Amino acid sequence: MGGVEHEDPPSKRVKVSSEESESFSNSSSLREPARCSLSDSMARPLESRGDDEVVGVKGVVKKVELVRIIAEALYSLGYEKTGAHLEEESGIPLHSAVVNLFMQQIIDGKWDESVATIHKIGLMDENIVKLASFVILEQKFFELLDGEKVMDALKTLRTEIAPLGVHTNRLHELSSLIVSPSQTAIDGTSDQRLRIRSRKKLLEELKTLLPSTVMIPEKRLVRLVEQALDLQRDACRFHNSLVEEMSLLTDHQCGRDHIPSQTLQILEEHSNEVWFLQFSHNGEYLASSSSDCLVIIWEVKVDGRISLKHRLSGHQKPVSYISWSPDDHQLLTCGVEEAVRRWDTASGECLHIYEKSGLGLINCAWAPDGRRIFCGVTDKSICMWDLEGKEVECWKGQKSIRISDLGISSDGKQLITVCKETMISLFGWESNSEKFIEEDHTIISFALSKDNRFLLVSLSNQELHLWSIDGSVILVAKYRGHKRSRLVVRSCFGGLEQAFIASGSEDSQVYIWHRVSGELILTLPGHSGAVNCVSWNPANPHMLASASDDRTIRIWGINQVNMTQNGRHSNGVCYCNGAT
Amino acid sequence: MDVDPRQWENIDVNDKDIHNIVLSYLVHNCFKDTMESFVSCAGIEQPADHLEDMEKRKRIFHSALDGDALKAIELTEEFTPDLLENNKDLHFDLLSLHFAKLICLRKCTEALGFAQLKLTPFGTMQKYVEKIEDFMSLLAYEEPEKSPMFHLLSLEYRQRVADNLNREILAHANLPRYSAAERLIQQATVVRQSLNQEFGKDGNQLFSLKDFLER
Repeated sequence: MGGVEHEDPPSKRVKVSSEESESFSNSSSLREPARCSLSDSMARPLESRGDDEVVGVKGVVKKVELVRIIAEALYSLGYEKTGAHLEEESGIPLHSAVVNLFMQQIIDGKWDESVATIHKIGLMDENIVKLASFVILEQKFFELLDGEKVMDALKTLRTEIAPLGVHTNRLHELSSLIVSPSQTAIDGTSDQRLRIRSRKKLLEELKTLLPSTVMIPEKRLVRLVEQALDLQRDACRFHNSLVEEMSLLTDHQCGRDHIPSQTLQILEEHSNEVWFLQFSHNGEYLASSSSDCLVIIWEVKVDGRISLKHRLSGHQKPVSYISWSPDDHQLLTCGVEEAVRRWDTASGECLHIYEKSGLGLINCAWAPDGRRIFCGVTDKSICMWDLEGKEVECWKGQKSIRISDLGISSDGKQLITVCKETMISLFGWESNSEKFIEEDHTIISFALSKDNRFLLVSLSNQELHLWSIDGSVILVAKYRGHKRSRLVVRSCFGGLEQAFIASGSEDSQVYIWHRVSGELILTLPGHSGAVNCVSWNPANPHMLASASDDRTIRIWGINQVNMTQNGRHSNGVCYCNGAT
Repeated sequence: MDVDPRQWENIDVNDKDIHNIVLSYLVHNCFKDTMESFVSCAGIEQPADHLEDMEKRKRIFHSALDGDALKAIELTEEFTPDLLENNKDLHFDLLSLHFAKLICLRKCTEALGFAQLKLTPFGTMQKYVEKIEDFMSLLAYEEPEKSPMFHLLSLEYRQRVADNLNREILAHANLPRYSAAERLIQQATVVRQSLNQEFGKDGNQLFSLKDFLER
């Protein structure tokens, strides 16, 4: 309650209605029993003070309720005098006199009287009265036990609590407590339920039990404000930064400037079209691959600059797909219809080459435990290997066609591949069960969300379809705007809580949509060739990378004040041998 | 599947076997006088002198059945000193009988004191905690017979505890825990039911001893 010690009875708040304001005195809590007769008439709260008066433009906010929650807020914040003044001036009491009496009795520990008072507060059904009485008498019981008045406690239990007929299990627990009040659980931790809570806490619990018209819930106004902020945040289409920014003074509306939209770096290490790139799970590295058969591991520095760490050469064919291990210590790369190589991130060394004689591999993925890998093969089957290269299993049949996307579902139990031109299979590789996503157009590529619960499918009709795959398979949204007709163009999720969808496009731009509303919010020009792939840094919602046929990678970020003049920072020159 | 009753004719039953069955039943249930009378009528040998023990066992059994648990415990301790020591479950059950009795007599203060002294020490073991709670909950009611835990005050419960005690004492003296008659009935029932399950197409009623005997 905003700094008020729980020992002090909140004396100033418990007071008579405004009708008594003449005799309003600063000191005290209710003492004269004579008030009780008045309190009877006050048992029906708040009649004739213009109960129906409304405030606000929409006419839905009742004045009486508003004033009451403001008064509660004032008391919560510790402004006793102001709260009292408000009640007086507005003529609207926070609580009726009966309720005030009740609250005072609780604080004073006058249990029997408070139980009697509860019955006098109208508007409540039998059951609530019983539940509230139970809670009050339970407190009485504990205080008696604490004061070593065991027989009195027993008497209370038998004659007052048991007859209520509610909470039978708790009743039995209380019985046991009489016998062994210091009973501790087997593992030695002392039992929570034994500690007497303060009377203040009791009052708080009663507030949740009794209807809110009788007793205003604690901090109601603050809760309403929090709800409003939540709604504002949900409605904000550009929301990409953390919540500290929210102010009560204006409606929350992020501007575009929180979405990466400025080119911060251009990376020019590749000598041919850059086909694929992906940030590591921890956002500290970026891996890119190109039709020049090279894979590059880049390091994301603390200040956001990207620098080259390793050049991984070895593939004889263009590298079309990369997969980071779950712990980011290793990398799988796939040469088109060639082999899959496993690399160590720290040293850049090639740890293993996976091949199938006579056949080529077309995609690769890690099992969630990081100890096995899956690869799609040109004969449309999928193989699972352990790290040493021993083939553990092979699923034949039309499992994976010549499209280099392979994913694992969130529970690690389903392999996601494109099994036919217009169909994605979610294949339970242990259970051998299969679910399908059917589309009307040819599937070009897909991407999984970070939590692996959503699938973003790119189609030949230039649409992106968002599917929920957690449990049953449902189409959730569609995104349009980008251009794709000849090439494989990839998309991804990104931003704070994956609130955005980004995609490459054949018109050399990066497209960004708001995921929930489906609205296209940004297009980013800059590349001079088709943008093949995008990846949003999972650890930094303000960093986006794009890979293009113009042989460069662009790093996009938010508008920074001290950017260099032309926004370019050429990276390849200083680090020619991959040292960081 | 029903066994053809005529098949029974092919089985010879020895009188001696039947005597033993009856005898075992009488010994198990401490029917000392009946046993003596039966032995002399049937002209068989008196079994090795368990007579005195039977008498003691009978008193223990009846004390427990009447709810006079403290007496039962005292007699048991006298008769077989280590039995309760080694059989905590039984010990607890007997003590709880006494508690139940105090509750029935509405002697709440005494019951509370007794519980604190005798029952709570068992609370260190998890398996007793729930039982203790169940019994303690009787304290909360002015009319415990109408409470959800009323079965703890019932004759059936006392019967069960007394039976257990009896069996343990027998076991301690290296005598069978179950009388022969009990075992035979159990065996016949189990066999019958198991056959029913295996060949179980027709009607499949569970074996009913009563029906069987009335045939």
